[in-house]
Amino acid sequence: MISFEPTEDQKLITGTVSDFAKSTLAPRARDFEKAQAVDTAARRAVHELGLSLAAVPEALGGQGLGLITATLINEELAYGDPAAPFGLPGFGAFLIAAQELGSDEQAQALIAPFADPAAHDRFGAVAWSERKPNRARPGFITIAKKVSGGWELTGAKAFVGNADLAESVIVFAQVDEQAGWNGVGAFVVSKANPGLRVAGRHKTLGLECGHFGEIVLEGAKVADTDRLEGRGDFVAACTRFFAKYSLIVAARQVGLARLAFDVSREYCDIRKAFGKPIGHFQDIAFTLADRHMDAESARELVRRGAWTWDAGKEQGKCLLATAQAVAHAHQVAMRCADDAVQLHGGAGFMRDVIVEKLMRDAKQMALCGASAEQMDQLAAAVELGLPLDPALVWPTPETQAVLT
Amino acid sequence: MIDFELNTQQRMLKEALHDMGKSVIRPQSLGWDREKTIDLGFLRNFYMMSQSLRGENNPMEDFNEGPKNRDPGKPVQTNRTAAMGAEELAWADASIMLSLPGPGLGGPPIRASGTPEQKERFFSIFRDMSDELRWGAYGLTEPGAGSDVAAIRTSCKRDGDAYILNGRKCYITMGGRASWVVIFATVDPALGRAGHRAFVVEKGTPGFFVGKIEEKMGLRANETAELVLEDCRVPAANLLGGEEKYQTKEGFMTAMKTFDNTRPLVAAMACGIGRAAYEYARDFVKDNYVLGRPIPRYSAIAERLARVGRNLEAARILTWKAVWMADHHLPNAKEASMSKALAGQAAIWACIEAIEICGAHGTLSEDHALLEKWFRDIKVYDIFEGTGQIQRIVISKRLLTDLRAF
Repeated sequence: MISFEPTEDQKLITGTVSDFAKSTLAPRARDFEKAQAVDTAARRAVHELGLSLAAVPEALGGQGLGLITATLINEELAYGDPAAPFGLPGFGAFLIAAQELGSDEQAQALIAPFADPAAHDRFGAVAWSERKPNRARPGFITIAKKVSGGWELTGAKAFVGNADLAESVIVFAQVDEQAGWNGVGAFVVSKANPGLRVAGRHKTLGLECGHFGEIVLEGAKVADTDRLEGRGDFVAACTRFFAKYSLIVAARQVGLARLAFDVSREYCDIRKAFGKPIGHFQDIAFTLADRHMDAESARELVRRGAWTWDAGKEQGKCLLATAQAVAHAHQVAMRCADDAVQLHGGAGFMRDVIVEKLMRDAKQMALCGASAEQMDQLAAAVELGLPLDPALVWPTPETQAVLT
Repeated sequence: MIDFELNTQQRMLKEALHDMGKSVIRPQSLGWDREKTIDLGFLRNFYMMSQSLRGENNPMEDFNEGPKNRDPGKPVQTNRTAAMGAEELAWADASIMLSLPGPGLGGPPIRASGTPEQKERFFSIFRDMSDELRWGAYGLTEPGAGSDVAAIRTSCKRDGDAYILNGRKCYITMGGRASWVVIFATVDPALGRAGHRAFVVEKGTPGFFVGKIEEKMGLRANETAELVLEDCRVPAANLLGGEEKYQTKEGFMTAMKTFDNTRPLVAAMACGIGRAAYEYARDFVKDNYVLGRPIPRYSAIAERLARVGRNLEAARILTWKAVWMADHHLPNAKEASMSKALAGQAAIWACIEAIEICGAHGTLSEDHALLEKWFRDIKVYDIFEGTGQIQRIVISKRLLTDLRAF
């Protein structure tokens, strides 16, 4: 039965997260930005709310609340500070990658550390992108070579969230150089591995507390059991990983879009020009109306995307609904943030007001997980009944490189 | 619980209308467009069939007249079910929904403001139409007053037990054949909205004439008429809601209340037409493009398709939200306007892009005539029942503090 109303439990969780985000994250958004990190106190507070494992199935050590609940949580956190979730342990791509790519046993082992009391200081990372495309053949430059008892990884990965903080990293590398994007594998590499080195931190346009950086692999040796095989179909699993992670990012974009809209609406109510509030000029009022439609539609599309997964719809339907939601949310957030700056005029360009940060964050976020363009290709492939060629539907470095 | 699954009744309705749309309606759609009318035989069959489907619990009657014994605290499914039906019918043919026998747009104001006696008198003629199909209509727009409803000039003057109406109404859907029309008039234009009165004017009333039947860009199978009132004497008993209803600003509100329930239905229809065009273009690409070859230009086409698809989804989700709110008796004026504004735009864009994607084929009114027809049909969905601009006025008044007018 069609319904837009969250359950009582979801309302309770959303209310708690919303209060927390407004009282704890929002006032400190600029501090996190300056410090390029979410501080320990805030991380501990989030961890005590016990929300990072909300969407992880109970069998894997999570709370089993489903993706809808996870999108609600992420939307509310982002409404406080859209950048903050990128600096929170357990909210990154790592847990989703572990669930989708690992066996039950592997996933349990990778997820367990995030449930313990000290986990507010525990980060994981996903190393996907590379600085350059491989011009010699399709696939990653980073390679995983089979050696006795395991694999040896060599190469460099870029745009990795929490690269310098992560205790373990899921690294994507080429296992079969002849197989193009069908020849990719994923491996868990511990920070303690002598072959893994954090090469440096990226200075980014936005999402400063995301700790995006580079990782270099210099013959890093891992065991056979450290390879994540995607439960039998690696390409499908990896496609699912990007869909679900991107949907979580899209929920944050919705929070950002709503925040940008609310700040703008308030400003248009109080800022006067030519003798009346600027919101009483039609051009400005209509801009607000358009952005409101944007934010509201993106919010419900993201929830619908999450619902397809929770309701166990067939994969094509889930991927299509997710791709549509993600692409829409990315574009909506950018429009909302851009207009928020525009409606503030010169004041919007100054760092005294939050909207300039929202605009930078929105663009940065549009490149976390799959981009709108990549999601559109995925949606079209599903609709046209084309095979889901990873070269087309994954955010490979051959097209737009993305952050994970 | 957040849920996007149709209930059993909605799924069955959708499937039944889809099958009929595909095998019965679409094959006739172009003919109706050329003939500028939907075949009465078809409408009669459709009516009889829907009657037999409905049984005791008649959802259309509920929709027209308001559910009986309604508990205002209890949610209904009526608006959601109507939206499913509207989208599916419009997918089959853009005009059909507007041409179905029944009170049409005239229903909601009578439902909202009519006295029990009026409701009985004006709705009862639609309960059994096995002898003859009948329509109602809604007459608000005038040559000099479209979006600016407060500017209507059709006058009404009390004269004994009747009112004398004078004026012209234009662009009235099914106005030529309607058994009655809800006509909006003013006792004094200087009073603005407070001067408005709504009357139910019955066919055959002396001084009430059908003027020009319009030639249109699209929706050609649907009748759009001009109505003329010349010293038309309307019984005071046909003043909607009775005189006491107009001591306040209710009169204008009657006109506007109509739209909170109907705008999402228009949005649903727009989604149906947009979806038709989108699916057509998608299937055209599947059948006519050499998808096995990696042609770089294809990714641009894929992106176009995907964008059309997701914009329609965004419009549909707001439409569903607006009808869900209506079913829960929540005020939804803003959401109704949002759905209409977004759906009108998304569907027009879908029809434009679909032709672009099909290339020259898309413009041919022989092989791909439906696509060319939808392109002509859809434009008015961003105009009637409040233009996109009017929707944005409705929305922004609910967003900004103390914004009464621009």
